[in-house]
Amino acid sequence: MRNSGRMSGALRTTVVLAFSLPFLVLVLQAFADSWTAPSLIPQEFGLRGFRDGFAGGGAGVALTRSLLVAFVVTAVSLLLAWPAARVIGERRLRHPGPVVLLLAVPILISPFAIGTGMTGWFVRLGLTDSVAGLVLAHIVFSLPYAVLVLSTGFSRRLRLSEEMASSMGIGPWRRLLMVTLPETRPTLALAALMAFLVSWGQYGSSLAISGGSPTLPVVLLPFIGSDFEVAAALSLLFLVPAVLALAAANRAGRVR
Amino acid sequence: MKQPAWRNAAMLAPAVTATVLLFGGALAGAVDQSFTPPLGGGLDSWSLDNWRSVFGDPVFGDALVFTLLTTAMATVLAALLALVIASLMRRGSSAARTAAAFPVPVPHMIVAVVAVLWLAPGGLADRVLGSLPINLVRDQAGLGIVLVYLFKETPFLVLLLLAVMGRRLDEQNEMAAVHGMGRWARLRWVIWPAVRVPLGIGSIIVTAFVFSAFEVPLAVGPNYPPTIGTYALEVTQTDAISGAGEAAAALLVGAAASIAFAVGILALASRQRRSDA
Repeated sequence: MRNSGRMSGALRTTVVLAFSLPFLVLVLQAFADSWTAPSLIPQEFGLRGFRDGFAGGGAGVALTRSLLVAFVVTAVSLLLAWPAARVIGERRLRHPGPVVLLLAVPILISPFAIGTGMTGWFVRLGLTDSVAGLVLAHIVFSLPYAVLVLSTGFSRRLRLSEEMASSMGIGPWRRLLMVTLPETRPTLALAALMAFLVSWGQYGSSLAISGGSPTLPVVLLPFIGSDFEVAAALSLLFLVPAVLALAAANRAGRVR
Repeated sequence: MKQPAWRNAAMLAPAVTATVLLFGGALAGAVDQSFTPPLGGGLDSWSLDNWRSVFGDPVFGDALVFTLLTTAMATVLAALLALVIASLMRRGSSAARTAAAFPVPVPHMIVAVVAVLWLAPGGLADRVLGSLPINLVRDQAGLGIVLVYLFKETPFLVLLLLAVMGRRLDEQNEMAAVHGMGRWARLRWVIWPAVRVPLGIGSIIVTAFVFSAFEVPLAVGPNYPPTIGTYALEVTQTDAISGAGEAAAALLVGAAASIAFAVGILALASRQRRSDA
């Protein structure tokens, strides 16, 4: 019995290490000025990857653009998703299937296909190579996740609590602040995280509509096969906001 | 208190309108582009030339087969691995679960970079082990692509499974054992009904993503055969005249395959639910 417990513990540790340890190579490679085979650690540490990555200013602008787009997409997706998620989560519809399917179907389609289809419209509307164009393209993929995740936070129980607060004379804004937001905080945090990550990691639609003003993933990809240090340095920068967003969502989602 | 129908419709309107305008508009744009004659024409002109040249191109046939194979391998292996890991991790601490879920928020492209740094010829795995027995980056069988998706998608499926593998399932399992059900019977009648919905939905998302994404194949995939995504990108880069139309046609085939798969899985699930009832 004890042996099988130890075995499970060892297997769990192996799983944890297998899924987290490989990322350490990014840190080593990003801060390596020279790291050639067969050495297991870099021969020379330095910041060449970051210097070369940011040379010309392209990566810096792309990083700022990606952050701006991801924050705007998150905010807009949550605003659009909130009322729809409420209707779905509170099971107000007799046949919710078609509505849920319509709102979720973009998840199934290639972002490059969506971006390609949008290009014609965006050229006519003057939205190519613009932040507004990127925001609109990313919302297609962030909105379904926001709706689906957020809908799990609404229930008839929450509605009863709100109705109770209303019968006690509490107005709509105070009800929102005192009852609705505290109750939905974990799912709201998770929905915000999903919307942010979907936009932050978006490659296909960004490539299709913003050739002249790329986002960070579009700048990063060509370096993967050509310069490991730059690829690792940009990947680290690409990773940091994702991890910070996860930590922030964890913190915001923790119920007091 | 029952809400009036108009109020529900008004609350759904922002999300539905955004989806119809943006997603519907993009889809209509892609369809329009796929039927636009390669050499242009009037507003009313359309042709099947892009579709003919895509389906007549042997490279597209190879890309379709290659995409189907890598998608099927990645999805089935990730689902199986997720079942094994979830049953192992459900007794783990929350810190262990969080660490095992680390790849979930990480963008696919970073996982591809990590894969290249470890698995490319002369990479860290080569240095640790002497040499890898098989080539995993840019290999023609697409093993590198499958490995990246396994690493990225398995923890996502594990999270979905752990959400339903709580104490209640343990109690049901123990009760079934007390009533004399064997291990396989418990797996079929207790565990499987609880996990099949999140596993099915997760697998649909994984399949759709693997089928359509192309940053991972671009980073670690072979030069030939391409995936449908990389095929579409290549035709836009190599053929300035008809490239966009052919790319749209190829991508629409991929979209149709993803939707058909999702509908198939949902139909299968509903049939099984009816037969279980």
